[in-house]
Amino acid sequence: MYRYDEFDHEFVAGRVAQFRDQVSRRLKGDISEDAFKPLRLMNGVYLQLHAYMLRVAIPYGTLSSRQMRMLAHIARRYDRGYGHFTTRQNIQYNWPKLGEIPDILEELASVEMHAIQTSGNCIRNVTADHFAGASADEVADPRPYAEILRQWSSLHPEFSFLPRKFKIAVTAAEHDRAAIQVHDIGLQLKKNEKGELGFAVWIGGGQGRTPMIAKKIKDFLPEADLLSYVTAIVRVYNLHGRRDNKFKARIKILVHETGTEELTAQIDAEWAQLRGGELTLPAEDIASIQAYFAPPPLTDRPEGWAQLAAWKRTDADFSAWVAQNVAPHRHPDYGMVTISLKPIGGIPGDASAEQMEVIADLAEELGFDEIRVTHEQNLVLPHVALADLEPLYRALAANGLATANAGLITDIIACPGLDYCALANARSIPVAQEISERFGDAARQREIGDLKIKISGCINACGHHHVGHIGILGVEKKGAELYQITLGGSADENTSIGEIIGRGFEPERITDAVETIVETYLAGRSNDKEDFLAYYRRVGSAPFKDALYGEKSQAA
Amino acid sequence: MALIWNETGVVENDRFASGEETPFIDLDAALTAAEEGANSLAVLVAPGDDVSRLAPVLDRVALVALDFPAFSDGRGFSHATLLRDRLGYEGEIRAVGDVQLDQVPFMLRVGITSVETRHEPTARRLTEMRLPGVGLHYQPSARRSQRPSETSYSWRRRTADAG
Ligand code: SF4
Repeated sequence: MYRYDEFDHEFVAGRVAQFRDQVSRRLKGDISEDAFKPLRLMNGVYLQLHAYMLRVAIPYGTLSSRQMRMLAHIARRYDRGYGHFTTRQNIQYNWPKLGEIPDILEELASVEMHAIQTSGNCIRNVTADHFAGASADEVADPRPYAEILRQWSSLHPEFSFLPRKFKIAVTAAEHDRAAIQVHDIGLQLKKNEKGELGFAVWIGGGQGRTPMIAKKIKDFLPEADLLSYVTAIVRVYNLHGRRDNKFKARIKILVHETGTEELTAQIDAEWAQLRGGELTLPAEDIASIQAYFAPPPLTDRPEGWAQLAAWKRTDADFSAWVAQNVAPHRHPDYGMVTISLKPIGGIPGDASAEQMEVIADLAEELGFDEIRVTHEQNLVLPHVALADLEPLYRALAANGLATANAGLITDIIACPGLDYCALANARSIPVAQEISERFGDAARQREIGDLKIKISGCINACGHHHVGHIGILGVEKKGAELYQITLGGSADENTSIGEIIGRGFEPERITDAVETIVETYLAGRSNDKEDFLAYYRRVGSAPFKDALYGEKSQAA
Repeated sequence: MALIWNETGVVENDRFASGEETPFIDLDAALTAAEEGANSLAVLVAPGDDVSRLAPVLDRVALVALDFPAFSDGRGFSHATLLRDRLGYEGEIRAVGDVQLDQVPFMLRVGITSVETRHEPTARRLTEMRLPGVGLHYQPSARRSQRPSETSYSWRRRTADAG
């Protein structure tokens, strides 16, 4: 993985000093809270319902054991012993003190981490496929490009006061695990006929109040032109994006209002001036960043196959965990292991300091020192020999980390909601917990199969409800919490925005409603190979509406 | 009182300091004035303006003032970049409006050469020449800056006079 050189160390140290100065001016009253707000936001500091919140960047979701141990240390020393992994592959601490945040940043800098641009109206932490560098289906590792974009966007003097936040995601496989079509810029690394690397470029995807699927504006952008082209996009957006209404300020609205063709023409005109200039990436620079991401030395471990078969025969729980949470690696003797942060009835994405340390140790011992954070709020050990799965499983299980539910109905994404967030209309976490309990039975979950539930506490959609197979959105009606359900959303290569199914449900009825939806699917599917999304796409919303509202609408 | 500052320090008695009357004319007025033969224009570019319209008359412009009406409005940063990189303007560019300390290092990097501020704590720090910026950069920008070394990545820069 990427290692800081002297330049990076000096830069981050400079940034910490700068923020320390800003905090001290704020505490002295030289800067008003209003003026401080954009400054703290550019360093990941939010003011929440009860306290400040610090969001730490985990670039493209990649962590070493040493970094994970530091995250544990910060949870213990400055927070209440927990961290919360987010849908943007970051980690949030919910209880730091403002005066201590510069110290936290200094500790982070010692392990090559920071909180730069994890919030604010700037280019945010760049995200990537969590299986990057390990999965069989990618054309090349997308992370070197995410790292180049991370560097280029850091404290960018022209693009630090954009109309609104700006999110970039990179993937390198046809099967999109990075949700690029719901990002401001989505990049898909691919090869052209000549075998050269480049990107398909998508812009204007997003969730929030006005969900939109991104439009492809370039089929093949040569890798050397990555920064000049992205600069052209962001410059056009900075100059022309709307600033009169915060809800219309994302680039998706600019794309929508200007028209894809016209906006693409503007971007291309700007790019024509920039192309071939000093932003052009020399091949040797790309190569030296790529060298940091060289795959670990995976020796053949064929003994794993027989061992695995034997263990599976004797331990049904282990067998179920392998089937659900271990995905095939590029190397046949290895697997990519999802560590679920969704224990039945738990808070999605939360990990205790102790759990983080256990994971750090295991990654060091059995996983080539690499950990990933997924946008589904789980962790991944991307390179584990099949022969090591059994001891890994035992250690995870002993620490509440071996829930065999990756991709299943209890693998729920939920935003912090009304328990923490100042913008929330409704609670998200308790809803996730109740649904998780209701469907907690392992056999029942497996019978239901792949089903993504995503919950947001308000229309800002941090819980990605628009792209949940079942999306749940907290709304407020006459002072009471109500949950609106959408069906059929998805954020992969066939991205779709879920459709609202009907009027909302009270907190005490939402889990029943989800159960009704699930039962409707189970009764209607043609066979157990037809997953929920496929069924929904085949039959539409009618059977679900009937089941949820049928009797009442007939009575009315 | 507004303070005018450039990298050599506080500028006293600047001829374009905003007083009772604005020393600037807007973009349309500047284009008309230039057509009529006027020189030494001081043009105020509003955030929504298309700065490239100034191209044909830039040799008659003495100062371009870029308006930053709010801390959050960053269009002026692109205007400055375009004036320098695209239009080749070499005269003074001044940031006016809601100019606050923490933006000044960014402003200098995109080619802005002076600022006018009414924000007292900002004025104090500028007077003391204590800027809060980071002298290392991950991207080239309109203001000339060096590659940190010959072997460093093509996109990295170091402010020549970074203290
Ligand atoms: S979706 Fe709304 S409630 Fe949930 S975290 Fe985002 S802003 Fe807060």
